[in-house]
Amino acid sequence: MTTVADHGTGHDTGHGPPGPYAPRPRGILMRPGFVRATWCAAAFFVVGMYIVVGLRWLAGWDPIYDWTIITLVGALTAAPIGFLLGLGAFDYWLYWISGRPTLPEDHSGHGATRWQDYFRVNTDHKVIGVQYTVTTFVFLLVGGLMAMIFRVELAEPGLQFLDGETFNGLVSVHATLLIFTFMVPVFAGLGNYVIPLMIGAPDMAFPRLNALSYWLLPIAGVMFLASFLAPGGAFAAGWTAYAPLSSELPVGSMFFNMGVQFAGASSILTALNFLVTIITMRAPGMTFWRMPLLVWANFTTSLLVVLATPFIAGSQFFVLFDRVMHTDFFVPEGGGYALGYQHIFWFYSHPAVYIMILPGFGIISEVISVFSRKPIFGYRLMAISLIGILVLGFSVWAHHLFVAGMADWLRVPMMITTLLIAVPTGVKVFSWLATMWEGRIHLTTPMLFALGFVSTFVIGGLSGIYLGSVPVDIHASDTYFVVAHIHYVFFGGSLLTVFAGVYYWFPKMTGRMYDERLGKLHFWLTFVTLNLTFFPMHWVGLRGMPRRVADYAAEFGAVNMFVTISSFALGASFFVFLYNMIVSWARGPAAGANPWRAMTLEWQVSSPPPIFNFDEVPTVVGGPYEYGVPGARHAVLGDPLREGVHA
Amino acid sequence: MTAHAEAAAHGHAEHHGPPPANRSSRMEPSTLGMLLFIASEAMLFGSFFAAYFFVRVVNPDATIVTPERWATWPPEPYEFPVFVAGVNTAILVTSSFTIHWAVQSIRRGNRRGLQAGLVATIALGLAFLLTQAIEYAHVGFNTTDGAFASVFFGLTGLHGAHVAVGLSLLIFAAVRAFRGHYSPEHYHGVEIPGIYWHFVDVMWIVVYATVYLL
Ligand code: HEM
Ligand SMILES: [Cu+2]
Repeated sequence: MTTVADHGTGHDTGHGPPGPYAPRPRGILMRPGFVRATWCAAAFFVVGMYIVVGLRWLAGWDPIYDWTIITLVGALTAAPIGFLLGLGAFDYWLYWISGRPTLPEDHSGHGATRWQDYFRVNTDHKVIGVQYTVTTFVFLLVGGLMAMIFRVELAEPGLQFLDGETFNGLVSVHATLLIFTFMVPVFAGLGNYVIPLMIGAPDMAFPRLNALSYWLLPIAGVMFLASFLAPGGAFAAGWTAYAPLSSELPVGSMFFNMGVQFAGASSILTALNFLVTIITMRAPGMTFWRMPLLVWANFTTSLLVVLATPFIAGSQFFVLFDRVMHTDFFVPEGGGYALGYQHIFWFYSHPAVYIMILPGFGIISEVISVFSRKPIFGYRLMAISLIGILVLGFSVWAHHLFVAGMADWLRVPMMITTLLIAVPTGVKVFSWLATMWEGRIHLTTPMLFALGFVSTFVIGGLSGIYLGSVPVDIHASDTYFVVAHIHYVFFGGSLLTVFAGVYYWFPKMTGRMYDERLGKLHFWLTFVTLNLTFFPMHWVGLRGMPRRVADYAAEFGAVNMFVTISSFALGASFFVFLYNMIVSWARGPAAGANPWRAMTLEWQVSSPPPIFNFDEVPTVVGGPYEYGVPGARHAVLGDPLREGVHA
Repeated sequence: MTAHAEAAAHGHAEHHGPPPANRSSRMEPSTLGMLLFIASEAMLFGSFFAAYFFVRVVNPDATIVTPERWATWPPEPYEFPVFVAGVNTAILVTSSFTIHWAVQSIRRGNRRGLQAGLVATIALGLAFLLTQAIEYAHVGFNTTDGAFASVFFGLTGLHGAHVAVGLSLLIFAAVRAFRGHYSPEHYHGVEIPGIYWHFVDVMWIVVYATVYLL
């Protein structure tokens, strides 16, 4: 049974009033694009502003021009929607809504032939994948540079050139950018590119929704950055933005509240798209137990996103209500419950740490299996442990509240579930090791990053286990020990998997090969300096150096100077990567369809893949990792009866 | 004629669209998408219920003063308009039947029934919102009157916003229904907003039971 994906051609379009859709020629102001986006955003701002002013005037409230509310409604809500409208993200739906004949998705908008094609609403999952990945790396660069700035401040005790507020703002925006506009969406970008290819589908299930999901992301990032321009400075309550503090700080805080909503909407919509694509568009023969682990990982991650993200949306709504409508959700004087914020926030944000690592687990499984030339060890157990993490992940949030004064009886159950999560995680680590055991290991750049990931991530997991046990956490919470933990799991964990993935799929995405020598240089520089930067933080943390404070006790001076110097070397290593990517993309040697001799479907088509991925739907006949198994095949392309097609 | 318009003018049959994807599930993709979206929406309600639970149950000094917290919710001298909200419940439950009728009609090829069902549902939805607005105006307290008011307006307001979204979807479907779209073979455009509407309805029953009755 075959069917057309939702490209707007199906369903009821053919039954409306007859008459072809013929786009009127439109001038630059009316054509979808950045010009229209600019004036639409401005117009929506004005409309939003006068809705506020009008209502306040009608109600007789003073002052009529309340700039906090105007900023919230006009600048942070209406203007972004106007921007998306102007860009053309809603054009199709508006035609559809008005019942007019719609332009069937003829895919003339598909693909990218010029660089400008990456700067418009594009419905091609491969273009969107690249848009996502490049955008998130821009935010990684900006967020990383912020860290360089406050590391200089931290090089010596005392306050040198930043005041406390600016320091707090920099730290908060750094973490927020890197979590909400890098770590979460970068995996959506890689997944976007690879998942349809891996399951043998021509595109995602909802291509237009996919385009909208992408364009919501830069809005969030720009909003976070724009908070520096707000009166009173950037939001400064950390990426966790605990209430009631965050509802009392200057208006910059609202840029966090709303930016998170846009980033969250983006990730929910992408996750819906992934789930529907994976469930309904797999090639014949691609059963769940034949899916590559990357697809499995994104499947479980997407479930986490869909179910958990609404909680952070809720928490930020409450904070905004407390600020703007003077409600008392988190205000104890009015009968509110301040700790409620932390519960609701972490009910999302703990699962979110798995949202930021599970897709990475998937990447590592691909890379390790391919470069060890061996089937993945315990494939089914790998998939099941992902589901185990998914389920357990919802039951541990309160380990972030051990010292916050929450109900005492909740501590021990949360400690037990927290430690339990180490079991499925351990299963994965041992399975990777067993996959490599007696394999023919090829130490390419992606494989180096995978090996680096396994070793540093284990350190991060171990510090997590310490933090998960209540007595240790009471001592170590809010110190640099937690900072060390975060950076071992995020930098040494997630980011290394992202690098592994980018190097691994770079030939597929660009059709060109990166420079292997520079890649290895990048790996060794990163791996060494990352440990030099973050390992000493364990030590100062245990000695009591608090996190998120601009000044510190003189005894930590020497270590911090060392950390700052290492962090600059770490920052510099990123430019090796950047140079390699840019130069190789422009004029690297041609890569060929399958440089890694991998079995999964994305490698069975040309690099970069043809516009609709496959000329005919492939047929899957076996598991995805049967390396070294004589006669084994994953899939047959083209007519399955014709012999001589390679798998 | 531009190449673009030409491609469009030739209709679907010849456009160089993607090869058809294999359908690996019996579930219609857009229906599945809507169900997952509803799961996400239910979690959003979940976060509002969590806030409600924190304020009413967990918080040690939740309601001003009395120890028998359950007995005095909302705190004296305020009251929730249980009866008006009950009428609203009846309105919304009825609208679930009318939307069901609309979908059943088009399945049997009855366009009049589809149109009438949609119009009736939209009218009932608007009546619900209007009643809620009047209720807010006469409820006797404001968002600033304490945490009980915060969670009251939070949950009912969130639900009201969902009614508004559901109504918009139904209005879009109605516009198309009156312009001749939909047929017994192709009625997803009404069925899917219908699913959402049922969800909004079920959610209201939960909200009503929690906020007004418990
Ligand atoms: C064996 C697995 C893990 C355990 C047992 C664990 C445990 C913990 C605990 C107990 C805390 C709270 C520390 C405190 O604030 O006092 C914490 C913080 C944190 N963990 Fe983990 N963790 C684990 C893995 C991970 C992973 C895989 C990630 C992300 C990829 C992660 C990201 C974080 C972050 C971001 C924080 C800091 C939150 C903040 O800013 O306050 N953890 N972890
Ligand atoms: Cu956690």
